[in-house]
Amino acid sequence: MISYKNVNKWYGELHVLNSINLEVEKGEVIVVCGPSGSGKSTLIRCINRLEPIQEGELVVDGMAVHDKKTNMTKIRAEIGFVFQSFNLYPHMTALENTTIAPLKVRGFNKAEAEKLGREMLTRVGLADRIDHYPAQLSGGQQQRVAIARGLTMKPKIMLFDEPTSALDPEMIHEVLDVMRDLAKEGMTMMAVTHEMGFAREVASRVVFMDEGKIIEIAPPNDFFTNPQTDRGKYFLQSILTH
Amino acid sequence: MWGFYFNELIRSLPFFLKGLYMTVAVAGLSLVFGTIIGFFGGIMRASRNKPARMIVGAWVDLIRGTPFLVQIFVIFFILPGIGIELEAFPAAVIALTNLTASFITEIVASGILAVPKGQREAATASGLSNYLQLRFIVLPQAIRSILPPLVGQYVLLVKDSSVVSAIGVVDITRVGWLTVQRIPEGLMVFGLVGLLYFAICYPLINLSGFLERRMTVASTKL
Amino acid sequence: MLEGFNFRIIWEYMPLYMQCFAATLWLSGLSLFGAVVVGIIACAMRLSQSRILRSIAGVYIETIRSTPLLAQLYFFYFGLPSMGIMLPEWLTGVIALTLNSGAYYAEIIRAGIQAIDFGQIEAGIASGLSYIQRMRFIILPQALGNTIRPMLGQAIILVKDSSLLSLISIMELTRAGQVLTSERFTPAEGFLTTAAFYLIIYYMLKAFSGWSEKRLIFREAH
Repeated sequence: MISYKNVNKWYGELHVLNSINLEVEKGEVIVVCGPSGSGKSTLIRCINRLEPIQEGELVVDGMAVHDKKTNMTKIRAEIGFVFQSFNLYPHMTALENTTIAPLKVRGFNKAEAEKLGREMLTRVGLADRIDHYPAQLSGGQQQRVAIARGLTMKPKIMLFDEPTSALDPEMIHEVLDVMRDLAKEGMTMMAVTHEMGFAREVASRVVFMDEGKIIEIAPPNDFFTNPQTDRGKYFLQSILTH
Repeated sequence: MWGFYFNELIRSLPFFLKGLYMTVAVAGLSLVFGTIIGFFGGIMRASRNKPARMIVGAWVDLIRGTPFLVQIFVIFFILPGIGIELEAFPAAVIALTNLTASFITEIVASGILAVPKGQREAATASGLSNYLQLRFIVLPQAIRSILPPLVGQYVLLVKDSSVVSAIGVVDITRVGWLTVQRIPEGLMVFGLVGLLYFAICYPLINLSGFLERRMTVASTKL
Repeated sequence: MLEGFNFRIIWEYMPLYMQCFAATLWLSGLSLFGAVVVGIIACAMRLSQSRILRSIAGVYIETIRSTPLLAQLYFFYFGLPSMGIMLPEWLTGVIALTLNSGAYYAEIIRAGIQAIDFGQIEAGIASGLSYIQRMRFIILPQALGNTIRPMLGQAIILVKDSSLLSLISIMELTRAGQVLTSERFTPAEGFLTTAAFYLIIYYMLKAFSGWSEKRLIFREAH
């Protein structure tokens, strides 16, 4: 479904993605973790070309993202993306936030789009908040609207970039619950997160990154109980003790 | 003809420098007085005293809601009617001070109100008096958000001072107006007028922009 | 002063005031429309890829902001005839007001666009919206929300600035005050009535500004 072959990217001098090789199968849930600045966000932001890669091949659902000529609109319409800072449109209600892309990108009519939007907002537990503006919602609710916005694309892949790190602790679980349900329904997902409980429960594999490289790829139980590298051990210690 | 008029204009340069001096004098005096009055006005506008807030607010609205030209006419032509005779120069300084003070009042008030409420509460909790809170806790923090628009206001002050030419103060604009009667090359004469204002205002605009960037950096470091 | 205030004279001159009130409104309205158009164009140039367009817009905006409107007005009033261009006074006035406010509108619109969080653009990209769709549905509506207040503030300034047109003999509110003053030697009646009319416009625009702010409910959390 997603295939990285020798992917490289630099920010000036900084080698932010260093020879990345990774195959993600349909229905897999990949949790990406690592210290800050390790390149984990960049890894998933490349998939819908929020950031272009400079070398290597990146193929998503059979389409070559590394090729400048590829029309990204079609790929982006099949990928839902959830940001750390939500990035909801503040001048639109929850429903309008979820329907703008189906209306304008997929060409749905208003009734279809709203039906879909309501359905997705219900799915994330916000049926009673559809006419609220983002400013009237809590952080957890805003992030769930953002997930619903991604889902209305009827995506083949959902990407999450630290979806819970801007949230207060008591709101984290409501977002993780929604993500867990999605995973169990068989959605292909990649999530950058340090929520190890979530990783243990639903991840097919954990990808551990440091300094732009993938250091370890392992099933969650193996990675958490017996990391193969010193850097992995050190990282686990630092997040478990904190 | 251009060459001839150009030489004439060069010969009038001392006259323009006198105008420049007058502009700087009117604007400079109003700047000092306006800033002092504006700080007091701003502190009153942001205070907990409701009548003071309302009186200052009404005054600000009155000045903001009417053109400066009309304000000058009121001061220059009407005050003599109630027994206050004014020369053009003091009338201009009073009008411009009044205008500047009203704008600075708003700038200072919003700067003070932008300081988080918790700061005052903490100061109250440690027993500081109202005056001490203002002097040592609130104003030093507010000054970050006050300074850039304050300098911006000084630019407006210099530009607004051109309007005092209407009551006969011989500032840069008035010098231009008098000169153009003799040298009928409007582009040239008022090009020079513009250049003189530019020389004062442009550095001030850049200073304001610089302060804005400095202050933003400083406050994110906090 | 007030005991001698002569309301009968004001009433006598009311038709003149109404006529001049209308003149102030349409002169400002026309200039406002022109200024917003000029502002959008200058802003687009300033944000464009082309270095030449950026520089042209930059010189225009900086020159206008660094010189007084009155000097600009005289520049056109005395300058255009010396180039052989003869325009009616009102048109010269509207051109000066348009070009002056246009530079300020360019800066207001630019600030509004640049204040939008980059995450908004990324979210639009991630949903597959095209550049034009992102502009139309995400950037511009928010920029409008960010700018409505400074836009109306500039409109208030423009109305007040139009009083300077009286200095090139255009009949508008301030000129009406001058006429009454010079014909009847009653400056108080003349200029205070003028001021009252400006205050009506000011309070109307201010109320509209407050109302539009409330309608944009989403801004409250920012």
